[in-house]
Amino acid sequence: MKKMAIFMMSLCLVFVAACGSAGNNEAANNKTTDEGNKETATNAAPEETKAEEAKPVKLRIYAQYADDDTKLPYDYAVAELKKEMPNVELELEVQAQDDGQKLKTYAATGNLPDIYQAGLDIITTFKKSGNILELDSYVDELGFRDKMYPSTMNTLVADDGHTYAFPYAGNEFVLLYYNKELFEQNGVKVPTTYDELMTAVKAFNAAGITPMSLFAKEKWPTVALFDMFVTRNEPQGILKLDKGEASASDPAYKEAADKIIELVKAGMLPKGATNLNYDQAAALFHQGKAAMFLNGQWEIAESTKQLGDKAGWMYFPGKDAANYEASKYAFSGGGGPGGYAVNPDTKDKDVAAKVAAFLSLKYAEYKYTERGNPLVSTKVDKAIVTEYPPMMKQLSDDIAKITSTTSFAWGLSDAKFKAAIEDASQSLMTGAYSSEQFIEDVNKAIPAAK
Amino acid sequence: MNKFLGNKTAILLFILPALLLYTVMVFYPIVQTFFRSMYEWDGLSEGTFIWFDNYTRLFQDSLFFTSLKNGLIFAVIITVTQIGIGSILAFAVADAKFKGRKLLRISFFIPVVLSITVVCQLWLSIYNGEYGLINKIFEMIGLEYKQDWLSSSKSAIVAIAFVNAWQYMGYHFALLLAGVKSVPEQYMEAARIDGATKLQAILKINIPMMAETYKFCLVFAITGGLNAFANMYIMTSGGPGTSTYTLTYLMYRSAFRVGEFGYGSAAAAILVIECLIATLIINRLIARERISY
Repeated sequence: MKKMAIFMMSLCLVFVAACGSAGNNEAANNKTTDEGNKETATNAAPEETKAEEAKPVKLRIYAQYADDDTKLPYDYAVAELKKEMPNVELELEVQAQDDGQKLKTYAATGNLPDIYQAGLDIITTFKKSGNILELDSYVDELGFRDKMYPSTMNTLVADDGHTYAFPYAGNEFVLLYYNKELFEQNGVKVPTTYDELMTAVKAFNAAGITPMSLFAKEKWPTVALFDMFVTRNEPQGILKLDKGEASASDPAYKEAADKIIELVKAGMLPKGATNLNYDQAAALFHQGKAAMFLNGQWEIAESTKQLGDKAGWMYFPGKDAANYEASKYAFSGGGGPGGYAVNPDTKDKDVAAKVAAFLSLKYAEYKYTERGNPLVSTKVDKAIVTEYPPMMKQLSDDIAKITSTTSFAWGLSDAKFKAAIEDASQSLMTGAYSSEQFIEDVNKAIPAAK
Repeated sequence: MNKFLGNKTAILLFILPALLLYTVMVFYPIVQTFFRSMYEWDGLSEGTFIWFDNYTRLFQDSLFFTSLKNGLIFAVIITVTQIGIGSILAFAVADAKFKGRKLLRISFFIPVVLSITVVCQLWLSIYNGEYGLINKIFEMIGLEYKQDWLSSSKSAIVAIAFVNAWQYMGYHFALLLAGVKSVPEQYMEAARIDGATKLQAILKINIPMMAETYKFCLVFAITGGLNAFANMYIMTSGGPGTSTYTLTYLMYRSAFRVGEFGYGSAAAAILVIECLIATLIINRLIARERISY
């Protein structure tokens, strides 16, 4: 009887082990086959490649497709692709807002789409695991480098000098929007110093208006706010911490944390700010219930639509008038490597890479010509269809004057530091978190200097 | 019957499908979790075996202790509320003289069948600092006790625990009601003849005889509390900052936000051990002897 039980248990374990190893073997076999393909592709004559291109090709693509700002450029790029490469059919899978979990799971299970949108985090992780194709040869072949602006080269080339994704977004910025009418009606001066900012906070609170709206449930806007304060004294902001070249206890960072705590305690943010999502926080600003609002420059279109000429953006206040002038063009935000990347195990790497490059160019083209957004990474030779709103004109005029940029939270290279600064910055927004705690929590996660 | 039970081959054959499923779906992943917790691994590349380094790091991580503490707070709140109020309601509804008991029985169970996302969205509105129901009630009765329920690092975990307590109270109520009804009527009748009050009968007869049910409810409530994730994921995303992290949330953060699957597995392993210890203690302390009527 005992033997029988042992036999049954062994059978179970063998079954389980077989399930596990079967998957691995399959993955290994796929890899070997693809290695073979790689060689074939490299040795193939250009004529053969051309002939292959004419064959119908179906590619799975994993891309952002959530709102007008992502749907319209994508649809335009796909329509243009149909004209340029009619044999290519794209099967879209909408990108989930999940910190890349779905994509990583696809990679882990050998189910990665042929083309996918990748940010710095995905590039860094997939580079190690061999799930992203190095695109250097395609950059040369397609002359992609010539299509880039010199100032956006950082979006094409990663730290290691290689290209892993064809970018479309340029360097973007964090802006502090304000409602001009509310400032005028309440006799509040647009702040240029911290003291004036505090005066504005008090004045708006007294008038029953929320001084600043922030969608702090998403953690990156809290990091952006902290970064804006830091950049008054340290132009590299959070980027320096991410590189391990500064400590959170350095005066620029400590002062920024202290100032935020002081302003939050004075009622700068709406009640329950750490639980507000974009829709709720933006509604406060768009409906004239909040005087200021922090978001990226992509908010310009929506704020112009909702508030018209009443909306504007201001240079971030400084410690004093001299500091304000000195740090006026030290902008928060920035860009990094990212865009359309290619799965190294895709059947036809050449076609996939060409499609990825083409989509990036057309995506940027639409944003530039139709969405009133000059902040794209590639040059566009078509005329603008939709005129820039005044706020975008102001930003466009300032771009050449910008002395430094930092990074958005999602552009940070160290995932551990990113999670820590996001958590700590959000805690700052409660007002019940000391700068000492902030320093301790952030310093624990700062990577060693590279 | 004896002959049937004597046929061990038949028994093994019958339990084989369940055993196989259990092995593949539960046992194997748990073993893998423990195994992977000894790796420095990003979930994609080949990991590096680092023995117990992840555990050493875990025990030096203040976030681990915050998560552990929050799990315990969550477990205590939901256990006390769900079993405490569930018992009172079960005893009340079990009384034949109680009017409208059928309606109440259904009403108490409705939140259990609702989606957790719906429940969390509902309570997000109730807790809202500006226009939430709770603050409005305080305002109406003239109390200056408006709170940022979910944005205060102190009250957030308690507020979230009450949402879970409210939602699953009906589940425990249903179990306890079945328990109350399974106590034979003659015991209650004997107590009444001896002059016991209703409360005395509940305390001396019902509750001791429902020990098995209470044991089951306790295991469910405590392990459910220690495992909590969905409520904080939907309502606060672990925030403000890290104030509503639990071990499951720490595991999620480590694996998916930071890309440290090995470290996340170590947190998961501690969670498994924690739940096992809680279950063992409950089994040791409650209903050690089987009651038969």
